[in-house]
Amino acid sequence: MNQDTTKLSRRNFFKAGTVLASGVAIASALTPYDGLLFAAESPGAKGKWYGIGIDINKCIGCGKCANACKQENNVPKDPFYFRSWVEQYTIKNDGSILVESPSGGVNGFTQSVPDNEIYKSFFVPKMCNHCAKSPCTQVCPVGATFETEEGIVLVDEKYCIGCRYCVQACPYGCRYIHPEKGTADKCTLCFHRLKHGLQPACFEICPTEARIFGDLNDPGSKLNYFLKNHNCMVVKPHLNTGSKLFYNALSPEVR
Amino acid sequence: MPQHIKRLISVFAIFIVLFLVMRQVLKPSSFGKLGHFRADAIYENTLKPMHYTIADSCTKCHKSVRAEKDKGFHKRLKCEVCHGPGLKHSLFAEQFKGKELPDSLKLYKPGERKDCGVCHQKNAARIKIQFDTINTTMVHQIDLAEHNPPDLKANEPANCIDCHNPHQP
Amino acid sequence: MEDHLQNLYEVLSKVEGYVYPNEIELNWSILIVLYPYITGLVAGAFILASLERIFKIKVLKPTYGIALLTAFSFMLVATMPLVSHLGKPLRAYEIMITPHSSSAMAIFGFVYLWYLMVVLFLEIWFDYRRDMVIWGNESKGVKRFLYKLLSLWTTDISPKAVALDDRIGYIVTVIGIPSAFLLHGYVGFIFGSIKANPWWSTVLMPVIFLFSAMVSGIALVMLIYIVLTKVRKQLIDMECLDTIAKYLFYILVIDFALEGLDQIHRIYVAEESFEALHKLVFGKLFYTLFIYQGLLGTVVPLLTLGTLQFYKPKASIRKIIYIILPVLVLMGIFFMRWNVVIGGQLFSKSFYGYTTFKTGLIGMEGYLMAATWLIIPFLILSFLLWLLPPWNKIETSHE
Ligand code: HEC
Ligand code: HEC
Ligand code: HEC
Ligand code: HEC
Repeated sequence: MNQDTTKLSRRNFFKAGTVLASGVAIASALTPYDGLLFAAESPGAKGKWYGIGIDINKCIGCGKCANACKQENNVPKDPFYFRSWVEQYTIKNDGSILVESPSGGVNGFTQSVPDNEIYKSFFVPKMCNHCAKSPCTQVCPVGATFETEEGIVLVDEKYCIGCRYCVQACPYGCRYIHPEKGTADKCTLCFHRLKHGLQPACFEICPTEARIFGDLNDPGSKLNYFLKNHNCMVVKPHLNTGSKLFYNALSPEVR
Repeated sequence: MPQHIKRLISVFAIFIVLFLVMRQVLKPSSFGKLGHFRADAIYENTLKPMHYTIADSCTKCHKSVRAEKDKGFHKRLKCEVCHGPGLKHSLFAEQFKGKELPDSLKLYKPGERKDCGVCHQKNAARIKIQFDTINTTMVHQIDLAEHNPPDLKANEPANCIDCHNPHQP
Repeated sequence: MEDHLQNLYEVLSKVEGYVYPNEIELNWSILIVLYPYITGLVAGAFILASLERIFKIKVLKPTYGIALLTAFSFMLVATMPLVSHLGKPLRAYEIMITPHSSSAMAIFGFVYLWYLMVVLFLEIWFDYRRDMVIWGNESKGVKRFLYKLLSLWTTDISPKAVALDDRIGYIVTVIGIPSAFLLHGYVGFIFGSIKANPWWSTVLMPVIFLFSAMVSGIALVMLIYIVLTKVRKQLIDMECLDTIAKYLFYILVIDFALEGLDQIHRIYVAEESFEALHKLVFGKLFYTLFIYQGLLGTVVPLLTLGTLQFYKPKASIRKIIYIILPVLVLMGIFFMRWNVVIGGQLFSKSFYGYTTFKTGLIGMEGYLMAATWLIIPFLILSFLLWLLPPWNKIETSHE
């Protein structure tokens, strides 16, 4: 993907005759706008380009994904460090919105509002959006976090200086500083599993198949099927992060 | 050029040269090969230990459980949802066939009421109306407090697995 | 480590509403409040010095040397709060060897070095070189060695060489003004460019930082000048102080107008984040924003200085005012940094809740550490004033 865009942008660069535009700006302005997927390449391009789909209608809030993530990736057990967590939104009859995530939902949820006061309620699993124009990699001063060719945002633990700028820059709160390592830590889409052809742990474990993982470049992938058949949305689209985490049935209250 | 300017410039030059040398020495060799990062980091990220395996890997040794499960309502659940990460177990458990497993290979056996409640406890957010299927909920819900609660006085069955087979509920 | 977690559990119990779990911990704490504060003092002090040098405001002469040395000693420490807050302080050098061009923070090392070495160091060096040569010949022992080392064992103090020094010093100062703007505007950009955080993300941020920097730097030099003159039992130059106060007033007006504009804009456009920020401002930030920064740090100095422009009480009263005001202004700007840095992390990016700021006395991110980084510049300054006393220099008039 990287190579293709640079070639494309270079051509347009001269055509437009504009000088002084950052690489990011060029790439985002000149990649053809894709109404379906803010971040996706057109299907059929070579190479993998991973994305995530989450069907809120199917999520039963068991929190097993958050739990599995903690165990698979040795995330500290304390409730301040999460690569993946689940939120329960409860919109009450009086219009107030209650969001809960007791220790990230790793131990499941208990309903805290009596039925008769609830207008509606739903679970939203959250995780790194693996943005195509990720604000977090943009701000890293030393290049210790980056996007791979497959569209996965990774952290270089051996190079990160722990300045926490990326934590501030992530609009989704998906990064934290590992309390022992002192470096930034985040979802890697279980990169170590992908290389063995396995799904990330949270997708593997989901009991209701609410989480769909796949290759956006593969027209036949489960993810593309899901995206075609549902009206999906990303969180905070106005920030133009090129998020690749698509939610079905996303309510506007979710932020 | 006056002497003091010369000295000053040479001091600055020394610093700049030193900096450039340091830069060459300290810069990791794979830096910048694929972009502004250490290319080796991609490889290093694949080296993290795995803990979860995949659904089918349990079948190899626990055929009967799998067969049982496939018949019941839990057919869509992966073994590890309930039993926890099982990679180590499925790699090393074979030699202990028929014997007691060492603690490190033991898996969690979630037989308590709260374990089933994680998915089955009544919760307003679990009710989903889906027009495209007949199912109106993703999961059948019960009220843990009401559905056959344990009777502390008599030795009544209390755990869910006393009445339900977890693999074929 | 244990303390840290315990702290977090305590914060967790105080969270209001909902914050993303990773947001419970405040990632940038008191040390990052200090970083823009100290850099601001540098930029401000330097601007005051250049008022004398470039804009030829001769009454400011008594403060020129003090302002330069103040800027230099604070600049030496400016990066320390940043480095000591890093998760991996020993890797700090990476920011110099592989700076990421798209990161607002990466260029800091270079802007910093440029400013420290090319602007401040050179200006001081050219300003003091002749005196260092002379002092080096007069003194002995360590002091002699220091002078010789600092003057790079040069000896040429012919009028021609001195004139050249003066010329170059002037050029450096001219370069220095945009550099000071760059230095601090750039610090503002670090915050202003974070689109994820609506409290920070405003184009005005660099400009606001710049003007508040000038305000704080000028106030600091004013204070140091008064204290120093008292300590040296000399006469305070009231005309000089009045002029500084006048410039302080002008810049304070601009600063106040800019910040007011920023807030009015926020209120008027009332974006998605408005309710959350509104609650933040009237809740957790009420004292630091309205009382410390707004009332005591801005409005009171503004009114007092404004009055002084029309009505001048007698010198002894003005002297007292000129001691109290800089203290208020310095406190106000400190809380301005506080409100930006800490305030920007107190609310959740989900806009559904607030976390709490809590840091201990000790530890890498504690108050003692912060106090250390605030005191050290004064120690350096005392040393520099001992080594390079501006009042012992041979009178030169900068041309
Ligand atoms: C290599 C063969 C093998 C594989 C693969 C395997 N197991 Fe086992 N498992 C065993 C053996 C051997 C035992 C020992 C007890 C026995 O013989 O029944 C056992 C016991 C268990 C127990 C009971 C433990 C106890 O404390 O009583 C559970 C639960 C279990 N396995 C779950 C799993 C799950 C889940 C998987 C898939 C991730 C899995 N096993 C994969 C061989 C295997
Ligand atoms: C709904 C959660 C659930 C799922 C899904 C599940 N198990 Fe179990 N499993 C249990 C519970 C609970 C027990 C403990 C039963 C007991 O103690 O009697 C158990 C016990 C076992 C045992 C121990 C044998 C025994 O009867 O004591 C084995 C082996 C086992 N499971 C394997 C599997 C395998 C293989 C799968 C996947 C095909 C699987 N389980 C899926 C809940 C589950
Ligand atoms: C990871 C979530 C999960 C856990 C844990 C779980 N279940 Fe289930 N259960 C499901 C799902 C999903 C279904 C299938 C959908 C449905 O309810 O029809 C199901 C179905 C059932 C059913 C059939 C409901 C029906 O349709 O009549 C029973 C009974 C049941 N589970 C009992 C249990 C018991 C007992 C346990 C504890 C050992 C347990 N479950 C643990 C997810 C779970
Ligand atoms: C005393 C035996 C007993 C115990 C203990 C028990 N159940 Fe049941 N459960 C039943 C019977 C019998 C049914 C079927 C009749 C019914 O629908 O009530 C049933 C039905 C269910 C259903 C399907 C409900 C539906 O609407 O179709 C679920 C889900 C379920 N049980 C889960 C659990 C869970 C979870 C526990 C542990 C907290 C549990 N059960 C404990 C006997 C038991």
